[in-house]
Amino acid sequence: MASRSQAAKWQAVFNLRTAIAVMCIVLMGWFAAAFAFDNKEVFLPGETSVGHYLFEASCSSCHEGFKPVSNENCSRCHQAELAEDKHGAAKFRDPRWAGELAKIEALTCTTCHNEHVHMFGRGVHLQPDLCMACHEGIIQGDLQSHDGFAADGCWTAGCHNYHDHRSISTGFLIENLDQPPMLPVQKLPDRTVLTQVETAPAPDLSREFLGGGA
Amino acid sequence: MLMRAIALLCLTLYLTLWGISPAQADGVDQAKIDSSTQLWETSAHALNEVNCSSCHQAEQTQAFVAQPGVESCQTCHEQAVDTFLLGKHGIRLLEGATPLTPAMARLPMQAAAQDWQMTCNSCHDVHAVNTVQAATDSCLGCHNDTHSLNYQNSRHAELFAADSNLPRPSAAAVSCATCHLPRHEMGTGDNVFTQVNHNNTYTLLPRDRMVKDVCMNCHGAEYSYNSIFDDDLVEANFDAPPTLALESFDLVRAFDARRTDQGTE
Repeated sequence: MASRSQAAKWQAVFNLRTAIAVMCIVLMGWFAAAFAFDNKEVFLPGETSVGHYLFEASCSSCHEGFKPVSNENCSRCHQAELAEDKHGAAKFRDPRWAGELAKIEALTCTTCHNEHVHMFGRGVHLQPDLCMACHEGIIQGDLQSHDGFAADGCWTAGCHNYHDHRSISTGFLIENLDQPPMLPVQKLPDRTVLTQVETAPAPDLSREFLGGGA
Repeated sequence: MLMRAIALLCLTLYLTLWGISPAQADGVDQAKIDSSTQLWETSAHALNEVNCSSCHQAEQTQAFVAQPGVESCQTCHEQAVDTFLLGKHGIRLLEGATPLTPAMARLPMQAAAQDWQMTCNSCHDVHAVNTVQAATDSCLGCHNDTHSLNYQNSRHAELFAADSNLPRPSAAAVSCATCHLPRHEMGTGDNVFTQVNHNNTYTLLPRDRMVKDVCMNCHGAEYSYNSIFDDDLVEANFDAPPTLALESFDLVRAFDARRTDQGTE
């Protein structure tokens, strides 16, 4: 009896070991295959945001090895969005605001933005009450305008834009209050293309198109 | 037995992970050359002496190029291509991947267009180089969501239909491109010129970017904000005036009144 139960126990350990070994081999094979066949989607930790998913298999677009994503990684594509950054380096060079950086690392993209995590249907993970790190006065009384507002509504309500404030600032809205639905002059930028000659030159290729090409 | 099982498992995984993207070939005959030449002859390209070889011949090697790519256009249209590569349409090319196809999209796309590859000539007729087609018809060749399909019911579409003379839409025509690939003026004084931002993602979010860059060329600020923050109205492609009244404007109005009172006291 005793020897039979010992054998059964030994068998169980052996089976567990085999199972773990097989699992490891399968996982290694799977990851190796993902690399070999350029199907790196298997490494994604979560659903990629709407702005980034089209190149989500290109890990190196944002990640340099296992280093944290740097501002340079982001600004490679997002320079235009940051051209008029209201909370950019220039703001915090001003001694009046420099101290605020101790409250929140506002100059690091990943303080607020995080890929592979989803909130508010936007491609960024953002603590909704982030603004309160510096602007709590706006809802707590010293700036009456926003008394009683929720701490997480600044941008989720669509009122404020952290980076580019030009078209949603109080000044801009006051300036443009009570405009008619259609402005007196409705005009999109026109586009003119100048030409250098009156008539087209003779086409300089023809047979090449039939002969195929490189 | 164990080895065989592992081998089989790996093989299955390899095969599931394996993806094949078929290359597309293009048949060219004399009729095709004649029609392309005819389109080219009255184009801005021809009238600026941009000839066949400008695009169809490699500058260094003089080798014939049957299907010039994005790089070819980029040699002259640097700003257009640079911005295209930053939007969803072009980002895969910037990142060294295969061109975007509608099959990869999360938005609904036309069934017939699923495998079309997104480069410059997906939207632009590169021989006629008129941009009327690129302004709406090209978009609707792929995009099949409610907002896109409702464009035809909008006042914007009426303006476009009334004033979309070749070779390019006028300053009064409102097309898909007007909002999603907006024109913007650059330079100062006598040297003002208009560029087209080909980053199709740029004006989408945050929505106030669209308001400033696009809507307020024609519409008042309140009308613009009340329209663009109404999801149903966006879906309907702005077929009616907005019914939303954003509280932000009441706040600003109250703030302004308070400020004025203090100023007059």
